[in-house]
Amino acid sequence: MLTYAPDDTLAHRLDPRSKLAVQIGFAATALAHTGPRALVALTAVAGAILVAARVSPLEALYAYRYALVFLAIAPVLAALTLGSPWIDLEDGIVSARASYRVLLILFVSAAYVRSTPVRASRAAIQRTIPGKPGQLLGIGVALVFRFLPVLRADLRTIRDAMAARLGDERGAVDRAGTIGVLGLTRAFERADRLALAMQARCFAWNPTLPALAFSRVDYPVLALAAFLALSALL
Amino acid sequence: MATHGDSVDLVDGTVVRQFARAAVLAALLGALGPISIPLPFSLAPVTLQVLFVFLAGLVLGPVWGTASMLLYLAAGAVGAPVFAGWEAGLGPLFGQTGGFLWSYPIAAALIGAIVHRGTDLRDPAAVPLPVVVLALAAATVLIYAMGTAYAAWLLELEAWEAIVGFALPFVPGELLKMAAAIAIVNGGRLEPIQA
Repeated sequence: MLTYAPDDTLAHRLDPRSKLAVQIGFAATALAHTGPRALVALTAVAGAILVAARVSPLEALYAYRYALVFLAIAPVLAALTLGSPWIDLEDGIVSARASYRVLLILFVSAAYVRSTPVRASRAAIQRTIPGKPGQLLGIGVALVFRFLPVLRADLRTIRDAMAARLGDERGAVDRAGTIGVLGLTRAFERADRLALAMQARCFAWNPTLPALAFSRVDYPVLALAAFLALSALL
Repeated sequence: MATHGDSVDLVDGTVVRQFARAAVLAALLGALGPISIPLPFSLAPVTLQVLFVFLAGLVLGPVWGTASMLLYLAAGAVGAPVFAGWEAGLGPLFGQTGGFLWSYPIAAALIGAIVHRGTDLRDPAAVPLPVVVLALAAATVLIYAMGTAYAAWLLELEAWEAIVGFALPFVPGELLKMAAAIAIVNGGRLEPIQA
């Protein structure tokens, strides 16, 4: 599982907003181009971004291994044809190029995940999206990070309890229903306690955020983001 | 160091409670990623995530159900390992599962709008069963239409190829999740939410 790790790479020093801009620019241009020359250029950019965040390509591949299954199936599906000649290589290659660019998009997002702590992402969200929606989105994202391990443990407890009562020998609908009801009930009990705790701590629309500032290295990166986004139009 | 002179603008109590539920439900959706129930007649594993997209619309309604799904997507985009297979980052939102992920908020809004008919929440158990079934079926069709269409466009597949790869293997699982959601609502096992 790929997560943030403290380090001192170029990517770690960048402002989260410039990193988000680069990702969006890269995705825009990768979605617009599948030509062989574009793919070589995109590979070079994605490789440089991985180096800048010190993520090895193997690590990134492993992090997205489930996506790889679908990306590998797609060209096979495209190549198969009903009726003679059964396999259409041309179609398969077009689809393989398309799925390769998706892999590159995933690589670039791996660099962001490795190099950006939650609080920086949250500050970026709250400073980019104005007003109350931005506030709620930023705080909500932080809460999702916080509650993820807690709820995972809750679900584990529910499944252990079901197994202990031979619940895992029941029908699939019954099992899914039990996990659904118990998972939701427990989660909402936590939510009510959380709401009370937030009110007790003066949960406000205008809290003080960590300072974010663009540094000198951010400007070339922002320029790169703009260039990538514009190259989608080429 | 700069100081702020403005006074604290407290968030209203009803908003705090619904917001906390939306955030926790988003985390629950993420925690479910790796849980799968194997089905005897399907190769694809069934994750329960879509069941909780249904429940988000049914229990939290069109506004906070949608907000909950948006929080899920945003948290995943900035690095929480919440997408299927513990994946994270902006990449999955543009990748081959992107269409499915973006359809979650719309599906929750659709279910909420059909079942609650407005922003005032009703008890889902009191809603006539055909309405609930219609809402869930419409949401399922929406999720798979968006997911399959985007995957077909992204990976340059023809429509039937995308349907074979991205929709058909999951049909039995979807029927199971709809049945589970209907059983949950019908059995009155959910406490109606008070704002």
